[in-house]
Amino acid sequence: MKPRADIQQGTLALMVLKTLDVLGPLHGYGIARRIEQISGDQLALNQGTLYPLLLRLEQEGAIASEWGPSENNRRARFYRLTRAGRKQLQAELQGWQQTADIVARFLAIKAETRP
Amino acid sequence: MKRLKRLLIRLRNLGSRQSVDQRRFLEEMAEHLSLQTEENLRSGMTPAEARRQAVLKFGPVEAIREQYHAEKSLPLLESVVQDVRYSIRILGKSRGFTSIAAISLALAIGANTTIFSAMKRLLLDRLDVPHAEQLRLLHWHGDRNTAVTNMWGMSDNTPEGIGAASFSYPAFEQLRRDNHVLEDLFAFKDVGRMNATIGGDAQILQGELVSGNYFDQLQVQPQIGRPILAADDQIGAPAVALISAELWQRAFGSSSAVVGRTIKVNMVPVTVIGVTPPRFTGAKSLQSAPDLFLPLSSQPLVEPRGRNGSLLGASSPQVWWLNIMGRTRAGISDATAQAALDVSLSAVVGSSLRPDANTTIPRLDLLDGSRGLFLSKQLFAKPLELLMAVVALVLLLACSNIASLLFARSMARQREVGVRLALGAGRARVLRGVLTESMMLSALGGVLGVALAFAGCRTLPALLANPWERSQFKMPLDWTVLAFTASVTVLSGLLFGIVPAWIATRSDGGACLKGSTQNIARRRKGFGGKMIVSFQVMLSTLLVAGALLFVGTRFNLAHVNPGFRTNHLVIFAIQQPESRYPPPKDLQLHHQIEERLRVLPGVENVTLSEVGYISDSMENTPFLPEGQIQDPEKDQSAWNNAVSPSFFHTMGIPIMAGRDFNENDTASAPKVGILSESLARKAFPGQNPIGKHFLAHFHPSEGAPGDLIEVVGICGDTRYWSLKQNPVGMFYQPYLQVQNLDFGATYEVRTSMSPGSIAPSLRAAVQAIDPDLPLQDIRTQQEQIDASMQQERIIAALTASFGVLALLLACVGVYGVMAYSVAQRTSEIGIRIALGALPKEVLAMVLREATWIGMGGIIFGLGATLLTTRMVKSLLYGLQPNDPAVLAASATLLALIGLAATWVPARRAAAVQPMEALRHE
Repeated sequence: MKPRADIQQGTLALMVLKTLDVLGPLHGYGIARRIEQISGDQLALNQGTLYPLLLRLEQEGAIASEWGPSENNRRARFYRLTRAGRKQLQAELQGWQQTADIVARFLAIKAETRP
Repeated sequence: MKRLKRLLIRLRNLGSRQSVDQRRFLEEMAEHLSLQTEENLRSGMTPAEARRQAVLKFGPVEAIREQYHAEKSLPLLESVVQDVRYSIRILGKSRGFTSIAAISLALAIGANTTIFSAMKRLLLDRLDVPHAEQLRLLHWHGDRNTAVTNMWGMSDNTPEGIGAASFSYPAFEQLRRDNHVLEDLFAFKDVGRMNATIGGDAQILQGELVSGNYFDQLQVQPQIGRPILAADDQIGAPAVALISAELWQRAFGSSSAVVGRTIKVNMVPVTVIGVTPPRFTGAKSLQSAPDLFLPLSSQPLVEPRGRNGSLLGASSPQVWWLNIMGRTRAGISDATAQAALDVSLSAVVGSSLRPDANTTIPRLDLLDGSRGLFLSKQLFAKPLELLMAVVALVLLLACSNIASLLFARSMARQREVGVRLALGAGRARVLRGVLTESMMLSALGGVLGVALAFAGCRTLPALLANPWERSQFKMPLDWTVLAFTASVTVLSGLLFGIVPAWIATRSDGGACLKGSTQNIARRRKGFGGKMIVSFQVMLSTLLVAGALLFVGTRFNLAHVNPGFRTNHLVIFAIQQPESRYPPPKDLQLHHQIEERLRVLPGVENVTLSEVGYISDSMENTPFLPEGQIQDPEKDQSAWNNAVSPSFFHTMGIPIMAGRDFNENDTASAPKVGILSESLARKAFPGQNPIGKHFLAHFHPSEGAPGDLIEVVGICGDTRYWSLKQNPVGMFYQPYLQVQNLDFGATYEVRTSMSPGSIAPSLRAAVQAIDPDLPLQDIRTQQEQIDASMQQERIIAALTASFGVLALLLACVGVYGVMAYSVAQRTSEIGIRIALGALPKEVLAMVLREATWIGMGGIIFGLGATLLTTRMVKSLLYGLQPNDPAVLAASATLLALIGLAATWVPARRAAAVQPMEALRHE
């Protein structure tokens, strides 16, 4: 079995925001499942750790939450992106894109520079 | 912004209980798990396996929950809150300990705050004007033969010579003209009481004469109207006055129509031109404020003094009366300024006083003027330093008392601490917990202490004031004082908390849990507590000895025989305005009043004297017995008083030889005098003084040859201006034979009525002669004497109550440590008794232990007393700082208290049942 990748600090928040951006309001379990699906089950994620993160994002004002009915008609807490959260997502995406570009350029360097 | 917002939310969450704010998490988790389980079921797992996998996937629940909680709130702060909650619970459990600690601490902190507040107001605070620190006060000092001889105002007399902050008007003018080292010099004079009539209401006001640049240089603007200007300070300018905010409110109801109103000051109409700002107290002092500010130029009108009524211009260079101040000038040091002003002073003394070969020229000193004349320093510095030291000792005592109690508790709690350490609590965390407890205790004491200080700051000024005077002295509890209290509180908490906390957490967890009571360890452990109690006994001995010294002083003063009968004597003063009664009309006025009062119903006898007794007033004049020659090197002066013929009879002063004054000793009769016994002995040793003559009131430099007076009688010695001052050599003259009574007279009325019931008829009788003459300060002679002993009374009362508190605290301390010691040794005592020790012997053993603790403390306490009380010698009367009776009494008191405190634990030890004690083990 292939070892599964650990998540880098901070990237989980980005994933949560992006998920909410794309799918609209979701409960915690939905977010967790979605992240697992997108990553192709390659992430070693303790689903529970999502909840402290959601709390922090809410305290920071990036997301908001309210109680609502879940698929099996029980009470679940639904999270949605706020306007501030959308801005934060844009900024972080840009930053992430930049980092990814730089890393990509380094990885693209070929052997021709060698003598 | 984001962080701040989050911090606020977390702070808000701080108070909420963990169980409550976890509900949302638990609910979300349950839902999460059920969704995951359903999905697992759908993928074909058995129900049990589906559930297991869901939980596994969720992760470590407890860790996540803690993380969740940490996100939600602030863990560090929260643990502090936890500590606080915990310590409140612990303190609440042991109410006895908490209340003893909090009350003793509150008393100590309250006393410290009150005394500090008084000290700040009387000794530290500066005048309420902009940049008070720039103000400099001019002062001079000279030797015994200084050219300045005639002063109006306070002077400092030392064996080497004399000094004062008073200058003549010509000196002020010349110093101001020559001055280029300070900003413009300004002058002022507190003239004391003035008789004023405002809208038909005659009252007594405090007045200050000020130079035309006074308000300009002090940088003070009136709240309404205009200040006194240079144009007002010109001879011939219309008479104007600024009134204080307090008078404005009291007499005019703060009406702005006051500007332009006319009031009568010493019978002269004066126009009000403005009102000073609320907290302005004049340049003289911060503790008392004048009601009226008048330009210097109005002195001859409203306060005539000197040969022709005027102290202004070149006409009166002899009288030195004006206080002079100036602000520092940038870049000029005080030394430079003093040297330059000294040159000017020498010049003006040389030209205006014409010193001869025998007289010397005074030297100028430049003093700090930021607190005005700072008379409160002479009056209060010593007593306040003493009280501050006493309350600091009381605080130290309270702290060591709590320390010793906490110490015993921390011993008892070693088991609890051991458990916490063993369970993995960090030592710092446990230390913090124990310290939080002492901090809570000191905070409780601090809050109660401030409440006490609030009462103290209202009571103390009332104690300092005379019942018959309006006092403006207030001691507000301001932020500086509260900051002082807060730091004292925190420091005390650390002081009494840190050592017991350290000891409590030093315990090695394992040893504690084993529950062993090893004898060797116990002995070492008990040592610290006993040291603290010894220290407490030492402090208590010192405080009790000090209290006994001051109570003794008070007792001695109360039993001083002043030399006259003080009971049933009502006294008051009448100050006639010089403008209406120039000499010798003043003598006739007082003669008329005396005769009118004599026939009033209820008046057994009446007399008057130029100077009232035991009221810090005195008169001293050149005195030369016949047969001696003038010698400026010697002190040829005597204390004197001018009295009416009924004086000795009314006051109950015995005539020892010769005759009393009588109705025939009139202004035109030969001048006669009565000497006090001690002056008679000193002036005419080994001779019969009756019939001899002496020369008095001579001032060669002013061209006054003096009066030749015949001695007709000898009277008993009396105290003069103070009970503390032994009788001085005095001579008396009939007041009709002196030049004037320009400071008014004090009337002494012997009556069995109270001042309140006889005052109306006295007032009516005086106003029948002149309706504008108010009676000042109607009181009994005994009230006057009590007022003169006010400081001693306050010190005695305060130190005595602190002494009692010290005894109580020592008692609690000794009891606490001995009870603890007995409890610790229960099994040891049980074994001793089982082996045949008698209860009597056990009792003796415990008492012996207590004796060692107490003796050490008492001996060191007596040593500390001997070392420290020397510093308060000047505040004592009739006993020495090392008074053996006081030392013995305080040692005995402490020993008795110590024994009493040990008795209960010792009895408990003697009653130990060996079987129970051993079973306990």
